[in-house]
Amino acid sequence: MQKTTITPPQWSAGMFVQRYGIFLALLLLCLVLALISENFLTTRNILNVLRQTSINGILAIGMTFVILTRGIDLSVGSVAALAGVVAASLATTSSAGMVAGGPYPAVIAILAGLAAGMACGSVSGAIVARFGVPAFVVTLGMLSAARGMTLIYAAGRPIPNLTEEFRWIGTGSIWGIPVPIFLLLGTFAIAHFVLTQTRFGRHVYAVGGNPHAAKVSGLPLRKIRFSVYVISGALAGLAGMVLAARTGSGLPQAGIAYELDAIAAVVIGGTSLAGGVGRVTGTLIGALLIGVMNNGLDLLGVESYYQQVIKGILIVAAVMLDQSKNKQD
Amino acid sequence: MTKKALMLATAMSLVAGAAMAQDKPKIGAALYGLNAEFMQLWAAAAEKHPAVQQGLVELTIFDGRYDALVQQEQFETMITQGYDAIIFAPIDADAGAAAVEAAHAAGIPVIGTNTMANTDKLTSYVGSDDVQSGYMEARYLLDQIGCTGNVVIIEGPIGQSAQIQRLEGNMKALAECPEVKVLEQQTANWSRAEGQTLMENWLTKHGDAIDGVIGQNDEMALGAIEAIKAAGKAPTDFAIVGIDGVTDALLAVKAGDMASILQDGAAQAHGSIDIAIKQVMPDYEPMSAIWEQYPDMPWNGGSDKMYMVPWTPVTAENVDALLATRQ
Repeated sequence: MQKTTITPPQWSAGMFVQRYGIFLALLLLCLVLALISENFLTTRNILNVLRQTSINGILAIGMTFVILTRGIDLSVGSVAALAGVVAASLATTSSAGMVAGGPYPAVIAILAGLAAGMACGSVSGAIVARFGVPAFVVTLGMLSAARGMTLIYAAGRPIPNLTEEFRWIGTGSIWGIPVPIFLLLGTFAIAHFVLTQTRFGRHVYAVGGNPHAAKVSGLPLRKIRFSVYVISGALAGLAGMVLAARTGSGLPQAGIAYELDAIAAVVIGGTSLAGGVGRVTGTLIGALLIGVMNNGLDLLGVESYYQQVIKGILIVAAVMLDQSKNKQD
Repeated sequence: MTKKALMLATAMSLVAGAAMAQDKPKIGAALYGLNAEFMQLWAAAAEKHPAVQQGLVELTIFDGRYDALVQQEQFETMITQGYDAIIFAPIDADAGAAAVEAAHAAGIPVIGTNTMANTDKLTSYVGSDDVQSGYMEARYLLDQIGCTGNVVIIEGPIGQSAQIQRLEGNMKALAECPEVKVLEQQTANWSRAEGQTLMENWLTKHGDAIDGVIGQNDEMALGAIEAIKAAGKAPTDFAIVGIDGVTDALLAVKAGDMASILQDGAAQAHGSIDIAIKQVMPDYEPMSAIWEQYPDMPWNGGSDKMYMVPWTPVTAENVDALLATRQ
């Protein structure tokens, strides 16, 4: 008779680093910066970092849903700009760019911005889900089209003088904490709940992890794929409105190349581009890592060119770590 | 193991590198973007200011990457970091106002340079009169084409004060020549590549009907020249003007392809630094040579609200001297 012994895997430092690597990297970075710069750990700066991370963080959380299904959304920067100018046109007190009868209550402007984002997401999602066109191509087209629509809608010029009520979502604070931080944490909490506690969330993982098995088990692949792009569009819309509120103008040139930082946050956070693996917690930490890095390097006076090189190295390092993790499994 | 060692080494070197405590006044220059030569010249001149070179103050240049949000975040960083003064060239006049007001509320003086922010909270502004240069370049071009014909206008980023004011100047001159028709007017965002694309398409659309090209800056006018050459035409068949006096434009003026007006970015940089230092050190006397160079722009104790650096039209006579300064 053969005896099979099962030995539990040995705990090792390597395993620990791999599982919590990103979080450790964030802690280490914060530690180093706190030692070097006396201003890093001040309340003001911490709030700055969190606030500066909020826009990219919201974009990245939406991006996580899409990447989990093996898709990608390159259009989020442009969609954010579109939502920004749409909302701005309803919440401006200046005659240039104002929608007739304005300015409207902030709620109306925000709903309009969200609707604009979801509309773009729906178009992208429909083409990806229904016609099977690769997401890269579809959202690349949307990147261009949405930017064009933004420029057309705003006649190429910024829409300034937004109402204080609308600007509150970008510049206001509750109990001394800036509103964008609440929006980021709120988005994170909802996304985390959806992905871990709901059936839809499990389906998202299934579609990305093993689409064939998912289809064979009868999951509505098209609806799920469609939905994640709508989510990404909605969150891009939210981020775009926070952006407009923060800068006080609906800028048609806003959000250029923002999708790159969003994808970077997702990838650094451990979500695999191959789909099916990853968590929004990782994305949040990835976004924070980028935000802390940007903030730290600014505090140290490092030129932005070097910052971009470092960010590139971080992304590649994260993906390499991810790949080595997969090989070991 | 190697990964950990590497992380540790990086941390160590960072700590060692930044361990020097500085007590000099810190001045931050938030520039809208460093992709094009003009702002690079500004930044290079700023680093060569006598006070910076002698270590009287510590200057940090921030690249706004043509993004109003990035500039706002850089302001927040400077406020957190306790900078003593900020020099600001905003990408957007209105979005820039919000940043200025935040700094003002924190008690940090902001000196505007090169482009304006729509706020009265600026301590001072050191720039050049863009309405005047817009008028000068258009007037020169109209004289070249005999106050009749068709022109196209290539604009800067819509909403930046330079674009708004140069257009105002352009239009003032055009109003003096009612027979001249503006066929096209579009933005190329100060970019040579975008200007080239615009001109290519306009040449396709209008062919030989275009007589003059008004570029609100040199880079875009240079792009137009490339498009003209690529279409097999000669730049000398058109009247082309730009503003700034960047090196390639000086060479083009020498070759007879265009006309330009020098914007003395170095003087703007030196002037704003002198004023910034004066805000921080009340006994400071200006160290830059520009105040002798431009007697029409007096120092007045560094307390004026506006310092307008005069424009210098680039001509065949002075172009060689100007090129020599770029070596």
